[in-house]
Amino acid sequence: MRLVPPWRINEVLKRAETGPICLERDFDLKVLYSKLQSVIKERDIKFDPEVIIPSDNSLADDVWKAALELYLEVGTLCLSTHRRILFDESEIKEAMSLSSREIVVGSGKDATRMCHREIEDSKRPFCLFSPDITCDEELFIPMSMAYLQEPLADGVCAPILDTIEGIRIKAGSPIEIKGSIAHAMMFREAARRVGRPGIFLQSVGTAETDAAQIAASNSTWGERLTDGRFVASIAELKVDYSLLNKMVHFHQYGCFVGALHGPMYGGYCGGAEGTAVVGTAYHIQALMVNQAYYSNYFPIHFKYSFNTSRELLWLISVTYQALARNTPFISLSNGFTAAGSFTPMVLYEAAAHGLVSTVSGANLWEIAVARNKYKNRATPMEARMACEIGHGIAKKGIKRSEANDIVKRILPKYENKLTEAPIGKTFSECYDIKTITPREDYVELYNKVKKELMDIGVPFL
Amino acid sequence: MLVLSEKVLIEKLRQSVIECDEEAAKKVAGEILKAGVDPVKAIKEGISSAAKIVGEKFETGEFFLPQLLLAGEAMESASNVLMSGISEKKREELESKRAGTVVLATVSGDIHDIGKNILALLLAVNGFKVYDLGRDVDSMKIVEKATEVKPDIIGLSALMTTTMPAQREVIDLLNAMGVRNEFIVMVGGGSTNREWAEEIEADGWAETAEEAVRLAQRLIEKKRRQ
Repeated sequence: MRLVPPWRINEVLKRAETGPICLERDFDLKVLYSKLQSVIKERDIKFDPEVIIPSDNSLADDVWKAALELYLEVGTLCLSTHRRILFDESEIKEAMSLSSREIVVGSGKDATRMCHREIEDSKRPFCLFSPDITCDEELFIPMSMAYLQEPLADGVCAPILDTIEGIRIKAGSPIEIKGSIAHAMMFREAARRVGRPGIFLQSVGTAETDAAQIAASNSTWGERLTDGRFVASIAELKVDYSLLNKMVHFHQYGCFVGALHGPMYGGYCGGAEGTAVVGTAYHIQALMVNQAYYSNYFPIHFKYSFNTSRELLWLISVTYQALARNTPFISLSNGFTAAGSFTPMVLYEAAAHGLVSTVSGANLWEIAVARNKYKNRATPMEARMACEIGHGIAKKGIKRSEANDIVKRILPKYENKLTEAPIGKTFSECYDIKTITPREDYVELYNKVKKELMDIGVPFL
Repeated sequence: MLVLSEKVLIEKLRQSVIECDEEAAKKVAGEILKAGVDPVKAIKEGISSAAKIVGEKFETGEFFLPQLLLAGEAMESASNVLMSGISEKKREELESKRAGTVVLATVSGDIHDIGKNILALLLAVNGFKVYDLGRDVDSMKIVEKATEVKPDIIGLSALMTTTMPAQREVIDLLNAMGVRNEFIVMVGGGSTNREWAEEIEADGWAETAEEAVRLAQRLIEKKRRQ
């Protein structure tokens, strides 16, 4: 039975108006960073480059305790009111004890469960396929269909439109509203065309503002109650009225609310340890402020926008282990690769991300490629690689120590090229857009890399 | 009372900035003035030298954004103290020797400003004067500030694809007002790339904040040679 969220929405909104006043600069350095340093030091949380997937449960528990202590003291800053939204421990415990460990998303024959996962869980991960990138208007339907027809996709997020009827979409303008509605309509059409009309759709990426999100809510042609919508955060641990407007609307409309958080490695969190702790704290914020049923979690390198390096994989593993052992939260781990489609490197990176995330207790959201910078550059093949491995990890009951050995065999294949990775090819160069099938040479490359990975012990579905 | 030598005091100032210790930097700046050490020399050999090291540590990954911010605060506090001991004429001379002036903003509709904040700090530690207008800044407000303070560079950051058009909007406004050639316009941010910069006829694009600083230096040098 679905219980929480929402958790006392009015109380949260009231605290955004009445909480302690705090300037943003003070929040970043004096409140967040200084407390973060102390909780890390107190528990001696340390990144070890040789152990990417730690098997030490006490480390996971320490990260959880550090995150809870951090969040209890720091809270969330509402930038619109310059006030901190704070909670006490009993409130967080109440919300956690009542919150859902699983939700049923999508509708009809396409409905499926999205669940909390444990470390080394034999339950298969929920796999959301997403290009996470803009595309040409004319490619929107073929690209969406390519992702929607993937057998392992439990849900899909569409590419983002940057023009509609040839006009560039600008956030906050009427064109954004028009583009966001078109996005919702075309995505639903694509889902029906592949024979999955009720599949869980995560939308609307084209809508940056609250107004554009609200405009796309429509059970006939747009976002349904069985779909998912995001309330993001502002780095780090901040929100504003626009985000809270979305939260209120989504709950009152009745669709699933997800939280979107990408703590920045190298930003206000500092290094791997700080990013893991803030990333874990973000999941508490997700429940208490974003009022979300699930999270999309994408810690990211502050300079190069990837999360497949050793440090980032470690902190992904540690965050998910902390959440798996100490919370009921449902969270999807979102990969960001340095290399682009149709390169061996992107497939190695996808493999590492899928493997580390799944064994540590995550569901999967795969995968932004080519540093998430280049229009039309993503295909479902990269997501397929990560998700086939995610399924393989669960099915074969791989343990953390074994997974750690395996990922250490994958990393040398790409880690020294991360800052100068090839951007690869575009969707149209990788797929026949008439038949919506991958080109033969990409399938050959995929199978070659898959065999190479199997030979070093990577489990596949 | 023990009077420390000029060399020791300047080294103490340098170290306090590198150690991101604002209070210590402020205190030693006061001691420098009391000891009669030339404040201009202290700025050059203490603060500027430390800034270079802070920048290098950030580039190599030894420092992250918080250390950069804290070192920036230490530098600012110490500079304010030292500046009070410098004559008006000398101050103007120092201002004229700046690496350049930049009006910087995250464009309209975009609330993601960490990248822009990093760039603002790196520009400052490299001797630029920075007018940081913040996040989600209206395009006309950016143009107004630029026409008011006449910077060498207007820097525009956008993380989201749907906010990139605001970078073009600023350039369009500069063109429409006939002042485009007065400024170097640089763009950057997560969703941008070189092709986009060329499409909107920006003067430069950089992927990282460090590259943006080097690019700013090159573009200003080129402009000053013209």
